[in-house]
Amino acid sequence: MSMNFSEFKKLMGADPKNRDPATLRARNSSPEFEAAAAEADAFEDKLQAALRIQPPTDLLNQIKGISQQPVRQRSWIPFALAASLLIAVGAVAMVWQQSHQWDSVEAYVADHYAHDGNAAVAQAGEKLSEQEITKILASLGATADKQLSGSIEFIKYCPTPDGKGAHMVVSTDQGPMTIIFMPKTRVNDGEMVKFDQMYALLINLENGSAAIIGEQSQSVESMVAVVRDSLKTGIVGA
Amino acid sequence: MTSNTERTQRFNELAESYSTDLYRYAMWTCGNDALAKDLVQETFLRAWRALDSLNDVASAKSWLITILRREYARTFERKVPKFTDLDTVVIVEDEELEPDERTERDLLRKGILNLEPKYREPLLLQVVFGHSCMEISEQLGITQSAVMTQLFRAREKLRVQLQKDGVTGNVHELF
Repeated sequence: MSMNFSEFKKLMGADPKNRDPATLRARNSSPEFEAAAAEADAFEDKLQAALRIQPPTDLLNQIKGISQQPVRQRSWIPFALAASLLIAVGAVAMVWQQSHQWDSVEAYVADHYAHDGNAAVAQAGEKLSEQEITKILASLGATADKQLSGSIEFIKYCPTPDGKGAHMVVSTDQGPMTIIFMPKTRVNDGEMVKFDQMYALLINLENGSAAIIGEQSQSVESMVAVVRDSLKTGIVGA
Repeated sequence: MTSNTERTQRFNELAESYSTDLYRYAMWTCGNDALAKDLVQETFLRAWRALDSLNDVASAKSWLITILRREYARTFERKVPKFTDLDTVVIVEDEELEPDERTERDLLRKGILNLEPKYREPLLLQVVFGHSCMEISEQLGITQSAVMTQLFRAREKLRVQLQKDGVTGNVHELF
């Protein structure tokens, strides 16, 4: 089936270098299509030229200099630096938490996600060890079965309105979504919060609650059953 | 050839092949030339340490991009980087430009930096690295249709920005 002009324009706007046979046929199918393709090509040339900046002249040599370093360097200096950094990051997190008193759970969720939600999503990408997930959740009195834990690609402690919680990024067939587990906070079950082109669905769990956060193109509702079934809360000595 | 020499040669080949594109990607992602340079150096430092885990040379580009994106996310967690005013960045052009072309290119660059990350990132992966929509989808963990939508909107926003600033050239009514 041949492409109509509207579909063709959308394709040119998204993937102007597409050279599938159907696209090639469409490009030459009429003067109107040819003109649209030529305009897309011209814009693409400009875009490529605009992005084609030259790196600093010494960058390549500096990178090559890295290979002069021993692969495994074990001295106290990196560990001391790492420890200092850890303390600094912890201090920043504490200051951030202490300086934020949220009026509502909704405000907390929006503020928390704006603080580091995107960074956490960007950092996710590899399956975590079961041990790492279990350790954090257990300390919050919770466990997650395989259905959930198998898809967690990022987890860390985070502040919540009522103490410590967990910030997780899970992989789904719609792309990564964020789950914030708040062990001691109750929410308006089923409430949808919109902020910065994101959706957060608040749900109560047996103990505590969770916010399931995704982009507006994602269906956060699809994760409700998974979270409710898989995240067991209020477990003493979990 | 010793294994250490082979390792160094392999690393240098990666640096020669990808450092320029990684710098471009970093620069347009963080909008700060000094931070972009740091990010690329840190990326290759991590790559050097983990080079033995790279089994398939064909996946080197994606592997390096993943390292860079994580490094940027870590940086972002510590401190939100301040965007540099593009006027203060020395950008070496590889061609002579007429004043109108110069203005248009500058506006396009500012438009790219002003794009929301969700639009800018797939665009950079596509234009700087030549990634296909499928590769972008895998890199970003989003569906191919979401990638197509975001790429379309990214270009549409740039086009609108150029029109708003009075530079239409031959991009009018493209999308």
